[in-house]
Amino acid sequence: MIRFENVDKWFGTLQVLAGISGEVSRGEVKVLVGPSGSGKSTLIRTVTRLEKVQGGRVLVDGADVAARGLDINRLRQRIGFVFQAYNLFPHLSALGNITLGLTKLHGMSKAAARERAMEELARVGLTEKANEMPGLLSGGQRQRVAIARSLAMDPEVMLFDEPTSALDPEMVGEVLAAMKRLAAAGMTMICVTHEIGFAREVADEIWFMETGRVIERGKPAELAGRAAQSRLGAFLQKVGAT
Amino acid sequence: MLEILQNNWLLFLVGQYPHGPIGGLVMTLFMAALSLALCFPFAIGLALARLSPYRWLRLPATAIVHTVRGLPLIMFIFWTYFFSPLIIGRAVGGVETLVIALVVYEAAYLSEIIRAGIEGLPKGQTEAATSLGLRYWPTTIKVVLPQALHNMLPSMVSQFVSTIKETSLGYVISAHELTFAAAQVNNVLLTQPFEVYGILALTYFALCFALTSLARLIERRISAGRGGAPGIVVAA
Repeated sequence: MIRFENVDKWFGTLQVLAGISGEVSRGEVKVLVGPSGSGKSTLIRTVTRLEKVQGGRVLVDGADVAARGLDINRLRQRIGFVFQAYNLFPHLSALGNITLGLTKLHGMSKAAARERAMEELARVGLTEKANEMPGLLSGGQRQRVAIARSLAMDPEVMLFDEPTSALDPEMVGEVLAAMKRLAAAGMTMICVTHEIGFAREVADEIWFMETGRVIERGKPAELAGRAAQSRLGAFLQKVGAT
Repeated sequence: MLEILQNNWLLFLVGQYPHGPIGGLVMTLFMAALSLALCFPFAIGLALARLSPYRWLRLPATAIVHTVRGLPLIMFIFWTYFFSPLIIGRAVGGVETLVIALVVYEAAYLSEIIRAGIEGLPKGQTEAATSLGLRYWPTTIKVVLPQALHNMLPSMVSQFVSTIKETSLGYVISAHELTFAAAQVNNVLLTQPFEVYGILALTYFALCFALTSLARLIERRISAGRGGAPGIVVAA
């Protein structure tokens, strides 16, 4: 469903993605791990053209996302994106954050959008916060609203860019729980995260990235076996996962 | 001074009204508010054009803003005063002239405020909107402008203060506003210019100082509102 073909990306003279190839099939959960600056976030941002690639191609269902004729906004509707900084719209309530896309893009009536948004809020356990402004929500609640906002658009894929990195430790669990439920429901997901426990539990495959390359990839169990004698082992030790 | 004020307060306040055109402080406020309101759509247009990825929009808008900002307001007043009758074929009153000149002039300044407001928003806001699949206009109207304009409220009040002061230039084309009223009083009294223009100065100052204080108050409120936003987590 998503294919990276020799993807290159530079920020100025710094190469952040160096010939990355790989594929994510429908229903699969890929977890990208690696030190900061290794290109994980940049890689998933290329999928919806938040970052343009300078070499290679990124394909979604066989269509090059950089193609001129491609309706990028259509594509973005099909791909949910959850940010590290939540990026909720601070001038809209939790509910308003979710209904905006529904009324503007799915052409729903206000009432229908409201109903749909409430369903999603219920799924992340925030029904009672529907009319709260984002500024009054905790970090974990904000991220759950952001996830609900993406899910309300009925995406085929969800991309998570370090969704728990900005959260206090006690709030990480509630967000991971929502992501686990989503994975269990069969959603295609690419998650950038430092939560190794989460990766072990839900990943179909883990990609370990460093300096713009995927230097290890495999099922969590395989990687754990190999970790001891590889760079991954050193990394896992550093993030305290072993 | 008090005596002058006692005898002429109505002239300062509303000009010769009801025996002549309305003027004085009321007209000053009216012209400032009207100019700012009328220039608002132009200012938003200029700001968006300046931030546009398209050169054919960005360059002319940038040229307009720089040109206007590089010229004194009185030039615009003269141009409007002498050229608009030629264009529309009839005499144009002082008030209309001043409002037109102010709209052009303020649009350039206000557009810079709006541009700063838009650029000051976290990049994540537009990213989040476009990631939902929203196009340029829904993103701009529903996500970018409401936040940018809210953050800019203090600057807009300051701009209103500037505009109030700028209306005094209307005196040169006989727009009936506060300075014009003061000059009329001075012409009647002849011997007390210090007192008359002292009253004028105090009036402007009281008005502008009050508005500037209001701007500061709004600014504090906005930053207090931000306190609940990123970073600080309010227990819920």
